[in-house]
Amino acid sequence: MCAMCSDTTICWMERTMLIVDDHAGYRRQARALFTSGGYDVIGEAADVASGVRAAAELRPTVVLLDVQLPDGDGFEAAGEILAAAEPPAVVLISSRDAGDYGGRIGASGARGFISKADLSVGALEALLGAAP
Amino acid sequence: MTTRRWVLVGAAVLAAAWILGAEWSSIHAGVQENHLLDALVGGAFIGAGLVAIDRRPGNAIGPLMVVFGAIGYIPNWNNLGTIPLFPTLALASDMAVAALIANIAFVYPSGHLSSRLDRVVLWIIYGALGSTTLLAVLTLPRPPAGCDCAWTPLFAPNPSAFAFIYGLNQRLPFLLVPLFLIAVVLRWRRASRAERRALRPLWIAVALLAVVFLIGAFAQPTSDTTSNPFAYLMWEIRGVIAIAVPILFVWGLLSERLARSAVGDLVVELDKPMPAEDLEAALARTLRDPTLRISYAIGGERWVDCDGKPVPAPAADDAAGVTLVERDSEVLAALAHDPAIEPGLVQAAGVAAGMAIANERLRAEVRAQLEEVRASRRRIVEAGDAARRRVERDLHDGAQQRLVGLSLGLRMLEDRCRDVPGVADDVGALQTDLRAALKELRELARGLHPQILTEEGLGAAVESLADRSPVPVRVMIHDDERLPPPVEATAYFVVAEALTNVSKYAGASSAAVAIARSDGSLLVDVTDDGAGGATIGVGSGLLGLEDRVAALGGTIAIESPVGQGTRLHAEIPCM
Repeated sequence: MCAMCSDTTICWMERTMLIVDDHAGYRRQARALFTSGGYDVIGEAADVASGVRAAAELRPTVVLLDVQLPDGDGFEAAGEILAAAEPPAVVLISSRDAGDYGGRIGASGARGFISKADLSVGALEALLGAAP
Repeated sequence: MTTRRWVLVGAAVLAAAWILGAEWSSIHAGVQENHLLDALVGGAFIGAGLVAIDRRPGNAIGPLMVVFGAIGYIPNWNNLGTIPLFPTLALASDMAVAALIANIAFVYPSGHLSSRLDRVVLWIIYGALGSTTLLAVLTLPRPPAGCDCAWTPLFAPNPSAFAFIYGLNQRLPFLLVPLFLIAVVLRWRRASRAERRALRPLWIAVALLAVVFLIGAFAQPTSDTTSNPFAYLMWEIRGVIAIAVPILFVWGLLSERLARSAVGDLVVELDKPMPAEDLEAALARTLRDPTLRISYAIGGERWVDCDGKPVPAPAADDAAGVTLVERDSEVLAALAHDPAIEPGLVQAAGVAAGMAIANERLRAEVRAQLEEVRASRRRIVEAGDAARRRVERDLHDGAQQRLVGLSLGLRMLEDRCRDVPGVADDVGALQTDLRAALKELRELARGLHPQILTEEGLGAAVESLADRSPVPVRVMIHDDERLPPPVEATAYFVVAEALTNVSKYAGASSAAVAIARSDGSLLVDVTDDGAGGATIGVGSGLLGLEDRVAALGGTIAIESPVGQGTRLHAEIPCM
């Protein structure tokens, strides 16, 4: 089924997604965007605690993780999610610029960062396509 | 002369009669001793005690010395052998009177006990001497038959028990004197400097008493005293030393009066103008208490030290060593000092320094007001920062989120309309406009308060400023430790404004930012190789920053000779 997948990309059909963002409206839009782009959005969470829990339970292949959450920041959450065995690819999103976070994005272990306004299937694939 | 003085003079006359009568009794009974010396020892105690009562009313030492001196003569009177009850009283006096000496030593010089240990030791001394005395009185043997003895009450006459108890009592000093000396030494060890000075007469007296005790223990005269000249001489010396003890006590008690002459020197010293801390030092010298501190009352129950810094309100209390300095029934200041210094002396010094203290209080008040203005300026800056942070957050959480959502919606619309000619282009154009609006909004938010400054600190925030600058900027950060938010924000805005000026006006090809710490200050340098000629004038944007830096107690300076580039230097205290 996934014969087309190379080692360096995540298999198209197996792309399951968890969206962690405290704005319900944005989650809904992101879900619509990625569902229409062929992703299976298997969960949503609104804060660090439930996001980390959902990542462990649902085992998605991609986690879209907002940097600013009510009970902490996405950098900590990324660290916790990535500590699991066979961790998902974590992509940080924020309505701020990458420049606003300095070196923390690089240090978080996340696959990359996408500004919320620029979020698209293409932008995500560009990140996921890159070697982890 | 006051009534109290008359009473004291009467007491002195009575005491003289009591002593002379006692000596007369001894002579009459044929006791061989130096009667004059014996009279002088007790007279010294009673006289010194009366002086102490006069000069230090309320202090227990005076009455204790009088009682000690007076009781000491009961055995002399008893030599007559005819006064009823006196055999018993003489016995009690002989056995228990030493406890009074211990009492005087323990309450010297304040008149009350200063520690639990002293209290316990004193109770042991009173208890041991008192209980053996009581038992001796109860077991006092019946006088031999046919004795023409004075009447004395008998309770349970028992010669052997009496002999045992009396012998025990006479040996108690070998236990009690070391105990007493230990308490005295421990008291010395915990005493403050002023207390040690005040206790000095006590040490000399204790040493003298020890000599008296030793001589008494080893050279007690017997009936053949006159035939043993050495023993007799020792006994005389013992008497002379014993006279010195009460005189020492009363001299020590009154010596604080002598120390008042130091207050006179203070008045002379204060005649010259002196800085605030010197007034404190001068008072400390006068009272010989290096721990002395002045705090000033500056109205509204507020207290400050000589630098104008707020301090807790001192409670006027002799025991805690706080003396208030008042003028026209207004409290000017409080002197916190060693509680062992006699309150009257501190008051005298306070009165002598009254004018200087009043002046110093005004100065302290001005300093306190200045300090307040500084603090309120800083609070205004902090409140401004907080407001900007809040607005930035609101923009981020509100408008920015909505626009971001809109952008996602447009993208989906764009995808769906890809095949509809014209519409896809229109949506794409909207998308571009929206992106520009979002960019402007982000820059606005960043200008209000950059998130990276809160998140990552000054170093990262300055690096990001340099990254966005159209002119290449070299950044050198030494010691990128986090600092209080107002300091970080101020340094950040200084760099931001300076780099804006560099790119707008300087025509520079490169610039450099250096941030370092020195002596508790943050040093910010922004240099460029541009046209120079810049000033902190109206419209430069630096004027507002100068106020901001000054509000934190810092300075900002600009060096900009025409044609030689610009160097902006700011120093901001790290609080």
